[in-house]
Amino acid sequence: MTYAFILAFQSLIREKWINLLSVFTIASGLLIISLALLTVYNIDAATKNLPERFSMILYLDNDIQKEKVDAAVGILKKNHAVLSVRYIPKEEALKELKATLKNSSYVFEGLDENPLPDAIEVKLKKDSVGQETVRKFAGEAMKIPGVKEVDYAEKFLSTLNYLRVGMKTIGLILIASLGAGIVFVCYSTVKILFYRRNEEIETFKLLGATKAFIRTPFLVEGALIGTSGGVVSLLGIFAFYYIVLLRLSVSMPIFKAILFPSDLFLVLPFVGTFLGVTGAAFALGRLKY
Amino acid sequence: MTWDDDGNNPMIHFSGVTKDYDNQTALRDITFSVEKGEMIFVTGPSGSGKTTLLKLIYFAEKPDQGTISIAGWETGQLKESSIPFLRRNIGIVFQDFRLLQNKNVFENVAMALRIRGTSEKEIKTRVYETLKAVNLRHKADVFPRRLSGGEQQRVVISRAIVAEPTVLLADEPTGNLDPDTAEGVMRTFKEINAKGTTVLIATHNRELFRNSGRRVIRLDMGNLVAEDRAQ
Repeated sequence: MTYAFILAFQSLIREKWINLLSVFTIASGLLIISLALLTVYNIDAATKNLPERFSMILYLDNDIQKEKVDAAVGILKKNHAVLSVRYIPKEEALKELKATLKNSSYVFEGLDENPLPDAIEVKLKKDSVGQETVRKFAGEAMKIPGVKEVDYAEKFLSTLNYLRVGMKTIGLILIASLGAGIVFVCYSTVKILFYRRNEEIETFKLLGATKAFIRTPFLVEGALIGTSGGVVSLLGIFAFYYIVLLRLSVSMPIFKAILFPSDLFLVLPFVGTFLGVTGAAFALGRLKY
Repeated sequence: MTWDDDGNNPMIHFSGVTKDYDNQTALRDITFSVEKGEMIFVTGPSGSGKTTLLKLIYFAEKPDQGTISIAGWETGQLKESSIPFLRRNIGIVFQDFRLLQNKNVFENVAMALRIRGTSEKEIKTRVYETLKAVNLRHKADVFPRRLSGGEQQRVVISRAIVAEPTVLLADEPTGNLDPDTAEGVMRTFKEINAKGTTVLIATHNRELFRNSGRRVIRLDMGNLVAEDRAQ
């Protein structure tokens, strides 16, 4: 095993240009993956707290009796998806509306009676704020006696959903395609290195070398190339953070809001190792010797 | 995988062996045996099938017809995975040397032991001993391209014998050597044989075996035309 490392290191030095090219290609791929992850991570973090602000308004029948309101509130509170329920009498609703529109008080001039209905504000638990669950909940709420109409920001929910799913899908496609690309780079590199050492390998075989003796240095080499690519990409992403984001945030404060999950990026060298070994294993598996 | 060394079987036995390359017969219906500890010569003009015969012994080729057994192992029934372990009992002096140009003399010889998983300490001892035996101890750090033909040949011999093989095969071992160096190489082979190693030398140079009293197998166009003792 130790000798496999020696042979791998010797080959890395001997074929330095092709190996360097592979390392930088892998590093570029991993850097793009990291930037995609950074974007997805930030969008995910930014949209994570939005469901907490989400609420539904259940408009009640005109002149609804208090017993009916209490019964509706009771039914809603029993629902597992519900976080909080608040009854808003129409007088309070009008007060809130006036407070909100205090700069446009002329709107209320000439208004003799309260046009607003009694309502119940329902906040759902964070996990339940999804397009489907909310739609289902709204359907169930409509069946509660006394509930006339259910209002919620359906567009907001679908946009949020599209944004999260879209970003995750794009991120996954990018990761999968670049990951496959990196495996292919390692595959090609090991294949080229193998052919360049064909004569040497033939001699090894004639001297009694097993397949494991011949293969192991190439797997080690694939791992070293992948790891080096991972380390270079790690340096790249940290350089991007310190040089680009931190500097830009001085003149453009919005960049301060960008989250940088440094722990997440520390796995890059290991990802490189895994992809490198995978590429090398594919290459060796397809070679006839 | 162990080498059957009980001494009951001939070390090498060919029985009706035929080998073709693209419809051209390299060896036709060859039958002969080599006993344990014997030193024999295979001779014949270029293209007579000497190298093919050696390749069949070190499992680089398979016979199209007939059977070959090496130390009791029938080559036709061997698993692919067993071949490396059996090859470790055979030292080969290749006609084209097959030296690793990016490794020095020490590393070239040591490779035969590294492949066997020998410890570094033992590798050091045995490689220097072997190099000393072929008078190349002082060239241990030199790369093959800086050596003369004779020196390269001796490195190949060192690599072939360092693991103390049971069988030593040499393909035209004196092909590019001057008479004095050739004589030195042959002396080395005799010494190895004297220690019990079965030696088979393929050569077109009759001077190597003249008056040796050794058994000589003569090939011509893939046929075994004579088997006698050198007078």
